[in-house]
Amino acid sequence: MLTVLLQQGINGIVVGSLYVLVALGLTLIYGVLVQINFAHADIVTLGAFAAYFFTHAFGGSYLASIGIALVVGGALGWLINAAIFAPLRDRGSELLPLIATIGVSIMLQNAMLAWFGPIPYAFDTPYSEHVIRIGSTFFTVQSVLIIIVSTTTIGLLYAFMKFTFLGKALRAVSQDRETAGLMGINPNYLIMLTFVIASALAGMGGALLGPVLVMTPFAGTSVIVKAFAIVIIGGFGNVEGTIIAGLLVGLIESYTTQFLDPGLIDIVVFALLLLMLAVRPTGLIAEKREENV
Amino acid sequence: MSNPEIAEQPITSMANSILTSRRFWLILAAIVISLLPMIFTDSYWRTNLIVCAINVMLAIGLDFIIGYAGQLNLGQSAFYGIGAYVSTLLITKLGVPFWIAFGCGVLLSGIAGMLLSLFGVRLRGHYLAIASLGFAVITYQILLNWISLTQGPLGIYAIPPPPALRLAGLPIIEFSNLANLFYLTAGFALLIYVLLDQLVRSPIGETLTAIREDEVSAASLGINCQKWKVFAFAIGSSIAGAAGCFYASFVGTLVPDAFFITESFTILAMVIVGGMGTLIGPVFGAILLTVLPELLRGIGDLRLIVYGVAVTLVVLFMPGGMVQAARLTAARVRRVVRGAGTEATT
Amino acid sequence: MIKQPFSSLLISAALAGSLLVSTPGTLYAADKVIKIGALFPMSGPGSYFGAQDKQGIELAIEQINKTGINGYKLEVQFEDSSCSPLPATQAAKRLLEQYKPNVVIGEECSDATLAIMPLMEQAKIPFLNAGSSSIKVTEPGNPWTFRIMPNEVMQGVDIATNAYKKLNARTAVLLYENTNAGIGNAKVFSDTFTKLGGKILADIGFGRDVNDFTSIATRIAGVGKVDVIPTYTLEGQGLKITQALAQAGVTKGGGGQSIQLGTIWLPFGFEQKAGKASLGYVRIVQFDPTDKREIVRGFGQAFKAKYNQDPTHINAHAYDQIILIADVVRRGAKDAQSIRDGLAATKAFSGVTGSVEFDKTNQNIKMDTIHYMETLPDLSWKALGWN
Repeated sequence: MLTVLLQQGINGIVVGSLYVLVALGLTLIYGVLVQINFAHADIVTLGAFAAYFFTHAFGGSYLASIGIALVVGGALGWLINAAIFAPLRDRGSELLPLIATIGVSIMLQNAMLAWFGPIPYAFDTPYSEHVIRIGSTFFTVQSVLIIIVSTTTIGLLYAFMKFTFLGKALRAVSQDRETAGLMGINPNYLIMLTFVIASALAGMGGALLGPVLVMTPFAGTSVIVKAFAIVIIGGFGNVEGTIIAGLLVGLIESYTTQFLDPGLIDIVVFALLLLMLAVRPTGLIAEKREENV
Repeated sequence: MSNPEIAEQPITSMANSILTSRRFWLILAAIVISLLPMIFTDSYWRTNLIVCAINVMLAIGLDFIIGYAGQLNLGQSAFYGIGAYVSTLLITKLGVPFWIAFGCGVLLSGIAGMLLSLFGVRLRGHYLAIASLGFAVITYQILLNWISLTQGPLGIYAIPPPPALRLAGLPIIEFSNLANLFYLTAGFALLIYVLLDQLVRSPIGETLTAIREDEVSAASLGINCQKWKVFAFAIGSSIAGAAGCFYASFVGTLVPDAFFITESFTILAMVIVGGMGTLIGPVFGAILLTVLPELLRGIGDLRLIVYGVAVTLVVLFMPGGMVQAARLTAARVRRVVRGAGTEATT
Repeated sequence: MIKQPFSSLLISAALAGSLLVSTPGTLYAADKVIKIGALFPMSGPGSYFGAQDKQGIELAIEQINKTGINGYKLEVQFEDSSCSPLPATQAAKRLLEQYKPNVVIGEECSDATLAIMPLMEQAKIPFLNAGSSSIKVTEPGNPWTFRIMPNEVMQGVDIATNAYKKLNARTAVLLYENTNAGIGNAKVFSDTFTKLGGKILADIGFGRDVNDFTSIATRIAGVGKVDVIPTYTLEGQGLKITQALAQAGVTKGGGGQSIQLGTIWLPFGFEQKAGKASLGYVRIVQFDPTDKREIVRGFGQAFKAKYNQDPTHINAHAYDQIILIADVVRRGAKDAQSIRDGLAATKAFSGVTGSVEFDKTNQNIKMDTIHYMETLPDLSWKALGWN
């Protein structure tokens, strides 16, 4: 029993750290803009495809493809900000970008369908079939890679937010928009930067998820609903909370599969979400922050 | 319409007063509805008309919650599904007559909306949005997993249409006839529209708007904000329930996938594209977003790409929705006409 | 404000464009034409089926129209039925009203097929299905709906019986996607297997959005000795399951004892994609591209020439639907009613997925090309010769 608990713990952490990468982007954008990018899921998908084609069509190494996906994601984020969020920023409604990005999402999914077709791609990496067994637990090298890459990335992001001037400015904006102005930084620049970072994370998440996901043009959408839940459980815009919540959701998923039924995963996750809203609407980690809605 | 120019032109003013009279528009809408099935005689377009009527109900119900009461509800798909499943299960499992089952479906989705709203009264903005989204996910998953009750993905089939209407002295009205079913659903949508229109112009509507604009000062005026928010939520969600009942009896097949959370976003898109905070906007938003993908069927595989681009462009270039675009166009036409008129007289 | 007219212009241009191109490809006016309506999911995740169906159909039409049959040519119009009841209803009605087909083929998803059936019956248009396995499609039977693929009961009873008798399996874990087809097939297996005396140790359904199957594999590893794992899922999730089960050391591919059992849903080439994890996988196939029959060889070559890939069972089923219609036309059918009657009278028709002969519910009762295959260490198939 103990090994099963331990094994499911490992499974949960691996999946959870992938969720964290996706959810962090949503949280960062929400923190700065108080808006939701619905096309975030499709950036994940495009990241996965970018990595796939880099490795399978051009023979690049998988590790390098993670970097490619990061760049592709960042570029897409820049584009979506420039095309959708920037023009709508002064309209004052948080719903307009949401609906516009729904349109973008429909467009991207169907454009990918036209290009890549609906047959799932087999994204094999040198690491995904290599299994390590310790005692009666097992995990693939790919899982180890997922943990290493996501931990490093999260660490770097954290250091950037904590120790660099720009990072501090970002946090300042997400707490109070006027402060940024006082710091002498153009808020538009900061918002653009947030989008690029958030989407680069999503693209990279895609490269790591590619070998895990059923890789079709709709792959990202299977992750995004859970990413929404994670963002809320973690407290909107709260980076630490999102990390904890992401791992928590990963663990819920594996333990629900073990002890209940995989069909009930979403019910358990969202029941927790409602419970969370009932008892602690500010999220797992309370942050002093005016509710600016 | 406080246009100072109107006073100078008595004829325009008369035309204007007719155009702004609600009774005129009501009669016009009734005429259009009664003519539509005669213009579109094939069953494909009549089917689309019924889908339009159902989507109009969903959109104006949601608009009442979001646009008037200012509560961001992403759970409309759940209320839609509750209405559909409650009424269908009552009819197929217990043999309850259609209209009683309809009432129960409406009532239960209203109660569900009320409960969600009671839960959410202390949450605002995005937190409420997420609570309602969570509610929609859970409802969908229950419909999917409680197979012994809902049949889950196995689906419920051969759901009968609403029973024929037998009025003394009139021929029997069968609702297996699509034109009649359209009259029923569109008539219902019109009725709901008129009732909501009355409601938003009544003191209740003003109260809701006051709460939406500034809850603190509304409360300071002695308004019980919570009570009114719950009220608005209950109304809007029971309308979605009614739409669900019609959906089930019209399509005849029920699977949970029809009430996946993306349906909530589709309905929200109808409200936004039409023009939030007006009742007429979401009507046209619903019609546009229902008809557009059908019109685009001709271009085959590119259909949804074009649809996605269209939705994005509408939001980018008409952020106030179709209503605002129509107003601006009307204003421009009026200016041009007046310009031409002055030229002619001089 | 200057942007307003621009956007409305764009939309109306898009609309006008769509109306212009909406006329289907027409053949030479002199030819007599049999119009085939094709309802398949062409958008969303269901387009997995639709895209492959389209390939098979277009190849068959191209081949048949080189010569024509009885002076007829075949024409096809596709409509996106989206794997879901309401869009399927809209697509079917558009097809019936605007294209006026003589025969309609399609849907893969059972709930969409079931939603289309009454419309076809009402319009008196024969409806030929290959991909929906729900028993409700032919039970109690609809005079206008025909199915050439074995239904869930035929598949499930057969697999469960062979698992018990040939593989001597006594314990099983059910793995299935939470869809009409997944639940239906798993239930038939479970009923048959327990009636024979076998035991179901776990019954695990999962949504189509589940990606990581490591947790499920871990759970299966912990339920004790499992003889067989009947798996009802499509290619995408199927690959992940097979790999996860091997990683968890459950199946033979991962050094375990359990044998995964599969359905005709998986395409040829699945084993190559799954790699050595698929070792020992036993599954039924209805279409085997290595089949030595003349018709299969010809189909395989033509398909490869046109699309530069090997055909799957979905390509093959779609191809068979068209050549079955062509066969009916060859026998003298020329309109909806005579095509229906011709379909019902089909005898000794042999397509790439096997023979066709309908019973009184219009279900194909021939299962001559359903073979059990075991995956060998070199990832090739070994025919088990169980039927």
